Amino acid sequence: MTTSVKAAIEVRALRKEFPVRDKGIFGPRGVKRAVDGLDLDVPRGRITGLLGLNGAGKTTTIKTVATLLRPTSGRVTVDGLDTVTDARAVRRRINLIAGGERMVYTRMTGRENLWYFGQLYDVPKKELRPRIDDLLALVGLTDVADTMVERYSRGMTQRLAIARGLVNRPAYLLLDEPTLGLDAPIARDLRRVVARLAEEGTGVLLTSHYLAEVEELCGHVYVISAGRHLAAGSPAELKAATGTHRTIRLTVTTPSPATAAVATRFGADLELLPTGAELITLRHPDDMAGPLAAAIVEAGGSIGGLEIAEASLEDAILALADGSREAATV
Amino acid sequence: MPIAWATAWRTWQMTRRAYPWTYAVGTVLPAALAISLAYLGYHAIGGGTVAADFQQGSGTTAYLAYVVVGATAFQFTVRLILWSAKALITEQRQGTLGALLVAPAGRFPYLLGFTVFAVLSSLVEFLTLGLVIAALGVSVPVSSAAGALLGALALVAAVFALSVGLGGLMIAAGEAHISQNTVFIVLGLVGGFTFPRDYLPLWAQWFAELLPTTSAMDVLHGAFTGGQSLPDLLPRLGVCALLTAAYLLLGLLYLPRAEARAVERTY
Ligand SMILES: Nc1ncnc2c1ncn2[C@@H]1O[C@H](COP(=O)(O)OP(=O)(O)OP(=O)(O)O)[C@@H](O)[C@H]1O
Ligand SMILES: [Mg+2]
Repeated sequence: MTTSVKAAIEVRALRKEFPVRDKGIFGPRGVKRAVDGLDLDVPRGRITGLLGLNGAGKTTTIKTVATLLRPTSGRVTVDGLDTVTDARAVRRRINLIAGGERMVYTRMTGRENLWYFGQLYDVPKKELRPRIDDLLALVGLTDVADTMVERYSRGMTQRLAIARGLVNRPAYLLLDEPTLGLDAPIARDLRRVVARLAEEGTGVLLTSHYLAEVEELCGHVYVISAGRHLAAGSPAELKAATGTHRTIRLTVTTPSPATAAVATRFGADLELLPTGAELITLRHPDDMAGPLAAAIVEAGGSIGGLEIAEASLEDAILALADGSREAATV
Repeated sequence: MPIAWATAWRTWQMTRRAYPWTYAVGTVLPAALAISLAYLGYHAIGGGTVAADFQQGSGTTAYLAYVVVGATAFQFTVRLILWSAKALITEQRQGTLGALLVAPAGRFPYLLGFTVFAVLSSLVEFLTLGLVIAALGVSVPVSSAAGALLGALALVAAVFALSVGLGGLMIAAGEAHISQNTVFIVLGLVGGFTFPRDYLPLWAQWFAELLPTTSAMDVLHGAFTGGQSLPDLLPRLGVCALLTAAYLLLGLLYLPRAEARAVERTY
């Protein structure tokens, strides 16, 4: 048996099935396969994104890495330690921040919460005090450190939950929609913190519905669908691979059958605007704006506006998801 | 055990903020009521004497003292179960179970923290209960002080051991009410708290032997009203220690599975 011990989270052939009952509690039992043969690597010092539509299996994967769920088959290791058999050792190295869950005690103050979790992580007394102050400052809760959490706003509670996730200085940080419900400036601060932690060597696994966030932060992204691997690569590679490089929107103020024929020749979409003008939308990996505009003018059309949008990661994910849905229906 | 103390302290803080101090008085009412009813029954129906079979089963004619020991112990058992066995499901309900489970802290010191808290806070309740008992004029004989102390410790350990597995069942099923009340009824009926087990059908007596609390109660009754000395009590203490160790071991082995099940259930 050979097990390569490298400094990373390694997910290998992970499958997770949940028992489900179809009709009420006495109904027949079935299984829901949430994750189906997934492989992932989350090295230290990099933010790894995990993307997919609702129900793709992102949370299930993260909870399995976090030792909260046991794989049905396959295995997850953290620095070579198995999440089932070495759960205690794994837990020391990781922490989980889930935007959808409370994760802090409401009848305690922010400081008391961090103190208690510090105890659960066995943080030495001398280090804990200053660390709590640092964390409170980091998430901007210093002023309300001694206020009961039940008086915090949702965003404040969430920020405390983020501080809790950092109390053990985890080598790997698992982030499941960490900015869910946060105001834009606070979400931005959190992104800075995460980026800095990664620079300092923390391995981060991030899921988020804000694809701009993923694009900004992640060095490597896995796209999954129905628990299966769909694509992987850097955001730039994913965009290149899906081929939806640029979107060109060209408005023709004097549409005619000739201009429509040009659009069709380029493979663009046509849309008649309420103003009587025509909108030509062309998605193409190459920069086709020049040739398209020239052809339109040649056909006697006059151009009212030209807009070129670089594809976002969002376009790429949507294209991938569309592709997988089509593949599934074939 | 820093985790046990931290957990006890946290529970104290949260409880202090959640409940008024009168709560501690209110919780002894069931025991006070049980003792008062026994008092009424003893004097009004029994005419102040006990039947021969009671004496045979309990080793004493001091019925009221027997009931005081039993009702107090039962009250204490209930409190301990409510805190220790329900600790995890309470975390689940308040949305902190995930945060607890991803931490490396062991469940043993964590649950022990709840028991420490429950024992300390029960002392306040005992004072209140003591007033009721004194008002009724019941005096409780102590035949072995050391035996009484060991019996009390044995009961705490037994209830703790029972609570570990019970707490696991609760989070796995996502249900506390039915489980806890079933346990309370079973313990109250067959556990030898307020009446001798000789009154029970034979199968129930054997079933009671499987509960770790039963032998602890035998020690307590023996050390107070039973007129027994420490050496007399040692065999039952040994049985209690064995059953407690078995329950604890099974409970701690089962907990991780129950926790994983709990996470699966609440997504
Ligand atoms: N505990 C569970 N029991 C039964 N089915 C589950 C459980 N957890 C998840 N599922 C199912 O497994 C699939 C994957 O769920 P999961 O929560 O991992 O998706 P996700 O990618 O995190 O979705 P979202 O973007 O909505 O957060 C879904 O179909 C979900 O209904
Ligand atoms: Mg999710």
